[in-house]
Amino acid sequence: MALMHVDDLTMRFSGITAIERLTLDVQEGSITSLIGPNGAGKTSVFNCITGFYKATSGDIVFDGQSLINLKPYQITYRGIIRTFQNVRLFKNMTVLENVLSGTHSVSKQSIFGALARHSAARLEEKAVLESAEYFLEYTGIYNKRHELARNLSYGDQRRTEWARALASQPKLLLLDEPAAGLNRGEKDSLIELIRKLRSDFSITVFLIEHDMDLVMKVSEKVIVVNFGVKIAEGTPNQVQTNPQVIEAYLGSEEEEDEDGFIS
Amino acid sequence: MQYFTKIRQLLDNKFATRAILAALCVIMALLPLFLNNYVLNVLWNAFFYMLLAMGLNIIVGYCGLCDLGYAAKFAIGAYTTGILIKTYHWNFWLTLPASLAVSIIAALLIGGPTLKLRSDYLAIVTLGFAEIVRITARNSNITGSATGISAIPRPSFFGIRLVKPNHWYYVFLVLVIIFIIISGRIRNSRVGRALAFIREDEDAAQAMGVNTTSYKLLAYTIGAAMGGITGSFYAVKMTSISPSSFDFTQSVNILLAVILGGMGKIPGVIVGAAFFAIFPELFRDIPVIGDMRMLFFGILLIAVMLNRPQGLWPDKLGSEPGGLPGDINTVGRR
Repeated sequence: MALMHVDDLTMRFSGITAIERLTLDVQEGSITSLIGPNGAGKTSVFNCITGFYKATSGDIVFDGQSLINLKPYQITYRGIIRTFQNVRLFKNMTVLENVLSGTHSVSKQSIFGALARHSAARLEEKAVLESAEYFLEYTGIYNKRHELARNLSYGDQRRTEWARALASQPKLLLLDEPAAGLNRGEKDSLIELIRKLRSDFSITVFLIEHDMDLVMKVSEKVIVVNFGVKIAEGTPNQVQTNPQVIEAYLGSEEEEDEDGFIS
Repeated sequence: MQYFTKIRQLLDNKFATRAILAALCVIMALLPLFLNNYVLNVLWNAFFYMLLAMGLNIIVGYCGLCDLGYAAKFAIGAYTTGILIKTYHWNFWLTLPASLAVSIIAALLIGGPTLKLRSDYLAIVTLGFAEIVRITARNSNITGSATGISAIPRPSFFGIRLVKPNHWYYVFLVLVIIFIIISGRIRNSRVGRALAFIREDEDAAQAMGVNTTSYKLLAYTIGAAMGGITGSFYAVKMTSISPSSFDFTQSVNILLAVILGGMGKIPGVIVGAAFFAIFPELFRDIPVIGDMRMLFFGILLIAVMLNRPQGLWPDKLGSEPGGLPGDINTVGRR
């Protein structure tokens, strides 16, 4: 069953069409990748799903309910969490506080609880702390939990972002270029982590990635977009041999091919 | 910077912090026995600025919103109490919930439409609103127009009429402690963290499920409510209030106290407010220099901000200066 169904989605910004009549399915429990050349509209799709952009037309149905017209925070409450292309941590806060932000949508203490500190509020505070610590351990960043996020190495910032996303106990995890800036070893452990968290928490993973090696290794389904239009869809093997995909990636001769797609 | 690190190390020790706080409470409680009325009044003034600075700190320090009209919040509380006592003969203590309610309603009316926009707009709207409040007060009969409201009777507390400087010293000391507890509880809670996430990165906060509009409104309302209550107590302490007590300079002073000490840090804000209230008094009686004390104060402020843009209060260990929540450059900027 499709956990998320994007139906005929179009997104235009003042004359430029970022996404055109895109239809795709993300199956429950799958690892699905969205790929395409630079500027193909991949991040726009994520921004529409998470409510940061308002789609011009079309529908996005998640878990049986439409996400259109919902605000980003409401979509997070529905169980979709994203990571950002350029790791957006709360830089002047500690790693632990960053991960606690993930627990915001799964806890409910109000200002009255904060001021009165009654037993329910204290219990919840203890529970979210334990949950945050669990995910800090899970992503291997526990020892640095009291450091400020901006003092971390890039790899550790990524880990923190992962822990933060997991702490919200999502149904669907959207990863925007999770391998960007990672070395080969880190990429291998990333692949392992993606597979592991799917089996540990039964999270569905939908990712945008430029690193074809990673995409082909980790995904069960690959969707290819170019100029906002879906040009291919299938298993990694099917997509890799699709002539339209090869053309989109190679394009005209002078276009750079930083992705090493056909290597 | 060496000595900042030393202080910080001491403060990071929980037992040491508690001992220092307990000692400080005892000293503050005993002080009126040894001090004359003038010094008590200076300290009272410091407490008063601490209350205002802690209220504004919820808005500016915790949530990163830029409020340039905080004087209006405290004017609303002061006038509500003043009018209810003078015109309607209410008991002072009963005016407090009324003052709280009026402050909250005013904050919701101003913040509601504004906070949906990017935070920068709030600076302009709060500035305008503060002027509207002041000019309305100056031109309305019920607020006593330009002369304000005078001869507001002093309240009683369990039979004691609060008339002596040491009475007010204790009343405001208790208020300061209550405000510290409120600020601390908000800071270390889900709500306080949500406000900090908004301050750090509004988009990422939304992505983590924080309803940024309603949390910004919440911070703004709490700050306004704290200002309103402070205003109510100010009205009965001073026994007279007039529009000139609530002008733009007052808003700037409170904001300076918050920034000087270190935005978002409760002890920092308290030190900033104390510094702000006490420093000019130290030079008052010295000839020549006394007349130029505000000039020296200005130079000192600039020097502090250049050397420690994150405020006077030492940072947590392991963090470097610059770009901190206490950095003026991050206020209201997205």
